[in-house]
Amino acid sequence: MTTLQLKNIVKRYKSQTVLDDLSLDVADGERLVLFGPSGAGKTVLLRLVAGVIEPDEGRVLIGGEDMTDVDAEHRGVGMAFQNFALFPHMSAFDNIASPLTATRSSKDAIAAGVHKVAKLLKIDHVLSHHPKALSNGQKQRTALARALVGSPPLLLLDDPLRNVDAKLRFEMRLELPRLLAAEGATVVYVTQDYKEAMALGDRIAVMSQGRIRQIGTPQEIYNAPADIEIARLFGDPTINLLDVVPQKSGDGVFVELSNVRVRLADYDGDASGKSCVLGLRPETIVFVDASAPGAIPVTVEAETPLNEKTVTLAMTARGREILVSRPAGTPGPAAGPAHIAVNGAQAFLFDKASGRLLPRADIASKRNGEAA
Amino acid sequence: METTSPIERLLRAVALTLVVVFFMFPIFWIFLMSFQTNETILTIPPSIVFSPTLSNYAALITGKLQTAAGTLDIAFMRNLGNSIFLSVASVAVALVLGVPAAYAFARHKFKGSEDIAFTLLSFRFAPPLLVLLPLTQYFQWLGLSNTYFGLIWVYQLICLPLILWIVRGYFEDISADVEYAYRIAGHSWFATFRKIALPLAGPGIAAAGLLAFIFAWNNFVFALVLASADKQPVTVGALAFVTSSGIQYGQIASAIVLSVTPTLALALYAQRYLVEGLSLGAVKG
Amino acid sequence: MASTATLRKPASGFRISRKMLPYVLSLPALLVCIGILIPFFTAVIYSFQRYRLSQPWARQFNWGENYLNFVTDPAFWNTLKVSLLYAGITVALELLLGLGIALLLQRRSTINNFISIMLLLPLMIAPALAALMWKLMTNPSFGILSYLASLIGLNDFRWASSPDTALLTVILVDIWVYTPFIMILLLAGLRSLPTQPFEAAALDGVPRSFVFFRITLPMLTPYILTATLFRLLDSIQQFDIIYAMTQGGPGNTLTVFQVEAYLNFFQSTNVGRSAALLIILWAITYTLSNVFIKNWLRLRERARGEA
Repeated sequence: MTTLQLKNIVKRYKSQTVLDDLSLDVADGERLVLFGPSGAGKTVLLRLVAGVIEPDEGRVLIGGEDMTDVDAEHRGVGMAFQNFALFPHMSAFDNIASPLTATRSSKDAIAAGVHKVAKLLKIDHVLSHHPKALSNGQKQRTALARALVGSPPLLLLDDPLRNVDAKLRFEMRLELPRLLAAEGATVVYVTQDYKEAMALGDRIAVMSQGRIRQIGTPQEIYNAPADIEIARLFGDPTINLLDVVPQKSGDGVFVELSNVRVRLADYDGDASGKSCVLGLRPETIVFVDASAPGAIPVTVEAETPLNEKTVTLAMTARGREILVSRPAGTPGPAAGPAHIAVNGAQAFLFDKASGRLLPRADIASKRNGEAA
Repeated sequence: METTSPIERLLRAVALTLVVVFFMFPIFWIFLMSFQTNETILTIPPSIVFSPTLSNYAALITGKLQTAAGTLDIAFMRNLGNSIFLSVASVAVALVLGVPAAYAFARHKFKGSEDIAFTLLSFRFAPPLLVLLPLTQYFQWLGLSNTYFGLIWVYQLICLPLILWIVRGYFEDISADVEYAYRIAGHSWFATFRKIALPLAGPGIAAAGLLAFIFAWNNFVFALVLASADKQPVTVGALAFVTSSGIQYGQIASAIVLSVTPTLALALYAQRYLVEGLSLGAVKG
Repeated sequence: MASTATLRKPASGFRISRKMLPYVLSLPALLVCIGILIPFFTAVIYSFQRYRLSQPWARQFNWGENYLNFVTDPAFWNTLKVSLLYAGITVALELLLGLGIALLLQRRSTINNFISIMLLLPLMIAPALAALMWKLMTNPSFGILSYLASLIGLNDFRWASSPDTALLTVILVDIWVYTPFIMILLLAGLRSLPTQPFEAAALDGVPRSFVFFRITLPMLTPYILTATLFRLLDSIQQFDIIYAMTQGGPGNTLTVFQVEAYLNFFQSTNVGRSAALLIILWAITYTLSNVFIKNWLRLRERARGEA
């Protein structure tokens, strides 16, 4: 276990700035997920930490020690690549053993180390194969084993589940947290899959365009996305976004949806009168009887199953599309007219111009703490 | 595309036959000549039916040529030895110098790397005599005239650019991640070069080395200008042999056969590498 | 165990820094090449001197005189003419022949692959030795080609020994040696073309001549350009075949640039003129090679993009 600090990292390729004055602290033993769309700079950041590329500006500190000018082989990190990057001319055994041979361990110690991690990853039966003869899943496990075998204090995993099929990814998503916990290493994990990020991260750093846009626990990011883009990236089905102009009335702030007032309990008067975007998570919307308080009339257009959920596409009177999700197997309305109710306490308000989340009264203090 | 008429197929077959005859006949004919005595060679009309003799080869290998006027010494085996030594040594030197440089060009886009690569490439296209003629004088000053060392150095003019350009292409084809992975596993750049880059570029290095060997072997002008008889390779030696032996046509033919056999054998043995190297050298770089 | 204890420390002692490494790796190769570059500049100096090996005392700068003399020197114009003629004819014929053979061998089959390997062989023979082979075959007293010529009524056909046919003969040898080179490049090009356009054309019943001129040729153009320029650069500098076959003769029939420069240097010992000739040749090849390298790099980028 060790710590990782990045201080004001800048990396440019030609005229393009890939990492833009980026700073990051990873605590001892923490699992930090770097999440973001492709091209955000996640992979470059990981390679910078590994030491195979150099930053133009800024420092990389591992365990408090400045490693910026230290070659990759002396940094003592383990890394798994998205494309596996196995050595094609070596057997799986030699691939996995490569971090051990570098330290000139004895033959027996190397064999013992390789077999132990191979058994853990269930690839002990294919150790004599060359990468060409391995299935995709076995390649991925070999790459992971190679990263783990030296018990590195800092483990860098570059989207290791990207290139394996859905079934395997699901299995590994369950298996990895246990494995990483057993390792006890500090982990930086890159992914483009929000579920993976939520499942694996102690904290998630959301990156785009070479900057960290938000950093926090999975719950913080899901429940208080810093801007519209992040809100959209986390959540499946995608969050509903509706243009609204909040109004102030005696007891607080409300928005009008199909002439039904929805009170936004978390917001105070600052938001009123501004052009805003209302964010409603599909799972916070429920179907109700027409007589229920706050019932908004809609037309049910279509229904599709999505994993363990059922997603309904509904249309408001003004023609706005709204996605509603509920646990699979629970009863839902038939196609045609229906009513929904929105929980104003779970809604987000974003400033339309900047896309930033408007501060909420009750958790504003907490959010400020994170951003600092 | 598969619907070809019988007439077209016939025409294609005839055309291909003509092509094969044109390109193969000289090799075949000289090969036959090398087993003929001068009397057989001078018979008109020429015939492919004759009683073969090994006397031409025997004369070349023993280095003694029996003529009506007496015994003549032939240095041809010496030329053959020179060719082997010069080509092997030149390719070895070019590999030792060129492979690391090719790796540097492929992996590190350092300042001026493209300019340097261009300059090296342009050697391939400069008239060799432009360098060779002044070099004769420099070699005299440096005491390199008619030395193997000097010749091997000049042979780098052909071998180095070839190796640089072909091998560089192969290094560029290796995924950088694979090398990164080995570095991160705790190995130095040199270990990575030796254990990852070299084995993975192996076929390319073999192709480049093979091609460089053939080009070195076939070179004529370098040794013509810079070497005296005792250091000359077969290309120059054979020409001198023609002049000195006069009408010993059978021996000339067998000398040619001995001179071209190594490159032809290599070409047949490793033709796949060769085609790849040739088209890489020209198309892919 | 302290958290940083497992970190491997940089080895002490000599270590090549990351920034220096590429220079260190390429330095030896560069040094060797620079050693060869020096004579190039010497040649430039020679070309501006009156310099004869037979009269070393008269050596002095005459600036552009060597070049100016060329204007009124019929031998120079002959050299230029023969060189261009030789390069133009050989490359044009080799291109046509190479393309034809490549088209004949385009389909992958055992026999086609076998033939294409066989055709490689002339390219593997040293041009100087190839010239000797053809010299034996065109010998007036026993050469098989002279005999064949007499069969079709060309008695006393003198091949390289006659000024009328010397150029034709060396061109024939050049074609024999170098056509396979163009053939291989174009064959590689043809076989790497995407198949869909051809299948579509065949389905639509498009005439084959149309397919060839409108699809095959345009798609093959980069390969043809590369092969042509590559050969042109070699051919205009041809020395081996011509020197081994005729030493530039008979007379001055075949005194192409490099042969003329060689004879000037070693026979007339006129170093200044020899150097000036080579500089002019270099200027021609430099121009051609710049065009060539640009085209080559484009092709290379494309090959890489597709890979």
